[in-house]
Amino acid sequence: MQTTLAALAVITVGYILAYLVFDRLRDRFGYVGGAEYVFIGFLLGPRITGLLGAEQVQDLTPIVSLALGWLGMLLGTYFRLPTMATIEASHLRIAFSEALITFGCALGALLALFHSLLGYPWPEATVQAVTLAAVATLSSSAAIDAVSRKAGQVAPIFPVLQLTARIDALVGVAAFGLLLAVFHLGQVSLEVRPPTATEWAVINLAVGVASGVLFHLFLGPRGHLHEVEGNSRLFVALAGAIVVASGASYYLNLSPIFTNLVLGFILANSGSAHRDVTRLLLNTERPVYLALLIFAGAAWSPSSPELLFVAPLFVLVRLGARFLGGWTAGAVIAPPELRTPKLGRALLAQGGIAVALAVNYTQVRPDLNADVILTATLVSVLLFDIVASREIGQVVGRTTSSSGLERKEEHVAEPLRQ
Amino acid sequence: MIRRLVVLMLLVGGAVLLEPLRAPTEGVIAPRSLFLFGILLLTADTFGALAHDLRVPRLLGYLVAGLALGPSVAGIVPAGVLDDLGMMKRLAVGLIAVLAGAELRLADLRQRGRVIATILVLQTAFVLVAVIATTLLSSRWIPFLDGISGSPAFFVALLFAVMLTVNSPMVTLALLTEAGARGPLARTTLGVVLVADVVVILLFTGSFSLAQASLGGAAAGAPQIMAQLLWEVLKAVLAGVVIGSIMSLYLHFVKRELVVFAVVVVFATAGAAEALHFELLLTLVIAGFLVENVAPVRAEPLVETLHQAAIPVFVVFFAMTGAELRVQEFVGFWPVVVGLVLVRMVAIYTSGRLGGRWAGAEEPVTRYGWTGLVPQAGVALGLATTVADRLPGIGVPMQTLTVGIIALNQALGPILFRRGLERAGEVTIQ
Repeated sequence: MQTTLAALAVITVGYILAYLVFDRLRDRFGYVGGAEYVFIGFLLGPRITGLLGAEQVQDLTPIVSLALGWLGMLLGTYFRLPTMATIEASHLRIAFSEALITFGCALGALLALFHSLLGYPWPEATVQAVTLAAVATLSSSAAIDAVSRKAGQVAPIFPVLQLTARIDALVGVAAFGLLLAVFHLGQVSLEVRPPTATEWAVINLAVGVASGVLFHLFLGPRGHLHEVEGNSRLFVALAGAIVVASGASYYLNLSPIFTNLVLGFILANSGSAHRDVTRLLLNTERPVYLALLIFAGAAWSPSSPELLFVAPLFVLVRLGARFLGGWTAGAVIAPPELRTPKLGRALLAQGGIAVALAVNYTQVRPDLNADVILTATLVSVLLFDIVASREIGQVVGRTTSSSGLERKEEHVAEPLRQ
Repeated sequence: MIRRLVVLMLLVGGAVLLEPLRAPTEGVIAPRSLFLFGILLLTADTFGALAHDLRVPRLLGYLVAGLALGPSVAGIVPAGVLDDLGMMKRLAVGLIAVLAGAELRLADLRQRGRVIATILVLQTAFVLVAVIATTLLSSRWIPFLDGISGSPAFFVALLFAVMLTVNSPMVTLALLTEAGARGPLARTTLGVVLVADVVVILLFTGSFSLAQASLGGAAAGAPQIMAQLLWEVLKAVLAGVVIGSIMSLYLHFVKRELVVFAVVVVFATAGAAEALHFELLLTLVIAGFLVENVAPVRAEPLVETLHQAAIPVFVVFFAMTGAELRVQEFVGFWPVVVGLVLVRMVAIYTSGRLGGRWAGAEEPVTRYGWTGLVPQAGVALGLATTVADRLPGIGVPMQTLTVGIIALNQALGPILFRRGLERAGEVTIQ
């Protein structure tokens, strides 16, 4: 009894100390991450106090799946077609080129790492390399939004950065979703022919589309649910929708993040409930992200010696790929008025989706270096979250000094949201 | 409504289509469980809305949805899935316990202490006497008294009666949240059911030991029983103080991300409760109470956050409770079940009216206070399971009968209490 209660007390004190340390980072560097939550998850988990044993961590799967799907759906709601149609073509060119070049560079380097250096056969090397390349490509708009809010003024590059962050997330999630379909794991029932990789990809998309259409009907075409029954009912309906879609994906060993991205995209583009759905998802994004960090901390069980160099190498690979992708998009592809050679420096923050992909990987491919992938992701996310805000500030500072400031009211609206 | 029901049917149909695309797996929480949990949530929400349209409490809709999908009726959500999702239910119980504790204000207890104590004592006494008398008088129809007579029959009847004194803090809080009720009736009922929750644990442990001893089982002596009782309560109080202190420290130093914090606290406490064998509900009620009433911090942000999260939590809890009901097991005893429900209700009605009058309670409390004491749910089900596990000879039939009574009280109680709150003029959310 005393041991357990003492463990609870130690965790509390440890967490509060960690919180105070990171709070200083928040003040000094505009830190937006949640490293203290990984820490508390690790303390609670089977490795340290065991208050959440391995079995109980497994029991948390419904909450984790909800969190994964929640972030995927939120990402999907960003891509509302009427709003996207108003985005300048040059912004889209910058965003897509940055995302694709970053992904390509990271993939090349990681394939070399896993196949040539660590000696994995091509299929296994590809699975790990694509997963980490997807994680490397992701960038979070939270830090950009935070700097934008703090500055009170915005440079012309802000909308480009916000758009690029979302396209990065789209490319990362789509690549990961496609990976799980192409390198599908798991057996089908004896009565049916095993689907091909293309068929799995189509099934993956179809689950998302079918879920989207059904929940569009479930919520009602005119946002009826929200107006009459309030946010809590909408929360329950959305949670149910996400858990159903995630459950279907898990059942098929596919990515619930991708499925919910498609679901979110359809909800955002159908009916008038999209505003309420997006608002609710945004309001709950941070708790969901932090819950995911706690779970990642609890599930984290580092043991492989490869961790020692894969995680630092991954950080370097991401840095290199990001800078290269940012330079190509910002210096070569961008028009003169948006030229930002150090664009990649403003896209260092990774955020919740990165952790979500890594957690999803540990659930779908526990057999293939799940610890390595999770550790590399956590190290990268936590590290880049610390420096992200300062880097954004410096990049934006440079851009504003050359282009002049504009009032926030004119440009602060997020580019993909109405 | 029809549209939503059609969507739910299509979802279930879609699940059937996907079935052959994966061979069954074991080990971790089954992906199928996750899918069915989502279906359960959506169905509960739909049935809740339907119940609201029919002017009955939403939680009845959640219960019916769970029952309809559960193993008793359609079997879409099988028992294995409910086992997989046990942690979700514990989370729901834990969050509501913290909220219930925080809702229990010391000032209210001081002001209404006499009324609460009088109603509680009378309710306990009247229900015990009425149920014991009825059970013994109609022993030939009571399955667990078959072949038992004399003092063993009395102590077994006492154990059974204790389970029927249990109220339901979950149902009370769910209804008060749904109705937005904060008047004298709401506060008195909440006080009675929460204090009764502590009292019943003591009564149950004592009566269980007596029944066990009278049936010839390995029973402890009176001093040992008392020591065990005190230790059980002490453990829960001690753990409650520690958890309450942790929550206070957090509210003092951090004050952020309160939903995440509350979830972590509940999971950590559930882990500790499992390891150390203390009562999760009681511990978290004490923790919530201490944060609200004793700790030198403002608990409002936490209480407000828990209120906002309450409805989804209620949906999970009541839908799963409904799914766990095994209707077919007690349907053969329906005359006994109905008879005992009526006896219990009359005892509660009489004690509520008398208690309110003797203690000088407000008119609405005297007239309608009894309605809040009828519902039964999780705690009573838990006690019935304990009896079935530890005294299988009499425990299993006793559990069957108790579950039937709880099911009926669960169905009638919320309707009565909602009506009571309406008549008392305390419903602020229609």
